[in-house]
Amino acid sequence: MTKTFITIMASSLLAFSVVSVAQDAAPMDSDAALAEARDAEAQEAQSRDEFRAIDQDVQSLKKEVLDLNRDLFLLEEELLFPANSQVAFFVSMDVGEYFDLDSISIKIDGKEVANYLYTEREADALIRGGVHRLHMANLKTGEHELVAVFIGHGPNIREYRRGATMTFDKGIGAKYVELEITDSITAQQPEFNIKEWE
Amino acid sequence: MKLKKSIIALVFSVFAASSLASSGMEGQLAPDFALKSSTGENLRLSEFRGDVVMINFWATWCGPCRQEMPLLDELYSRYQRVGFSLLGVNIDDDSRRAMDMIEELGVNFPVLFDARKEVSKLYDVEAMPVTVIVDRTGTVRYIHHGYKPGYEDKYLDQIRSLLRE
Repeated sequence: MTKTFITIMASSLLAFSVVSVAQDAAPMDSDAALAEARDAEAQEAQSRDEFRAIDQDVQSLKKEVLDLNRDLFLLEEELLFPANSQVAFFVSMDVGEYFDLDSISIKIDGKEVANYLYTEREADALIRGGVHRLHMANLKTGEHELVAVFIGHGPNIREYRRGATMTFDKGIGAKYVELEITDSITAQQPEFNIKEWE
Repeated sequence: MKLKKSIIALVFSVFAASSLASSGMEGQLAPDFALKSSTGENLRLSEFRGDVVMINFWATWCGPCRQEMPLLDELYSRYQRVGFSLLGVNIDDDSRRAMDMIEELGVNFPVLFDARKEVSKLYDVEAMPVTVIVDRTGTVRYIHHGYKPGYEDKYLDQIRSLLRE
């Protein structure tokens, strides 16, 4: 009984001493924690400021990029579609029997700009549905006259030399003109047309 | 005396410069062209891609051309079936004179007519004959200015080496 009492007393005393030590240590930990908290707050505030500054930089950069993009777009348009803009001339054939193409020459406003000799292989490619870009030019806006001369062999291997004329209006933007050779079954002869692509 | 020497030097340098002009084409893609041939059809250089092609610029008034052409015809007959093509480009104003000469010499290779001198300008041809040898990829490999007996041996070696490539 006495032993038990002494054991209990000793344990109580031991526990009490531990608590005392703990209570003595508590004030030191809370100071450090407070300081840490204050540091963290300061850092957070600093981060917020930095972030705000970066955000402002990004916004101003975005604006600059958009302005630059707009300027480039306008410049591109001026370069690609200037007053002296491009006109492209294409040749197509839809013939079987009435015309054997040898060459085509084109004049724009009285000046010869292209003279193309077609080989057998090239003429065959046209008959099979190919389209040949004969010439590209830069023309001022306004009216222009196109004269195309088609040379080849017609029915009965007769030499053919046929011209076609067209006046077209050059506006802003690219223009595409097609020189078309087709069979006219009713006339039993080839037909030569010039048309603009829309 | 000094003036005479200066004139000789000037003439020599012009000649050298004109030779260099077409020599500079070696290693470059041969400029493409299409011309009407003696058989009436149009022939385009690029359609011969895959063959070794010899382009020979000549004129009826050119003596060495007359000497050279039969020898070129022999090369053509020998190697045509193994991927060799020869295009004779005549630059006379009147193609009928060229036709007469072809018949007289009995050549079989295709002769093209460049009366407008567009192709000869493209190849910077200033003196006759000029022989351009193009490989299977369409690249100019050799250019020969003029003709002297013995040149055909050089042509033979070059053609054979290109055919082997």
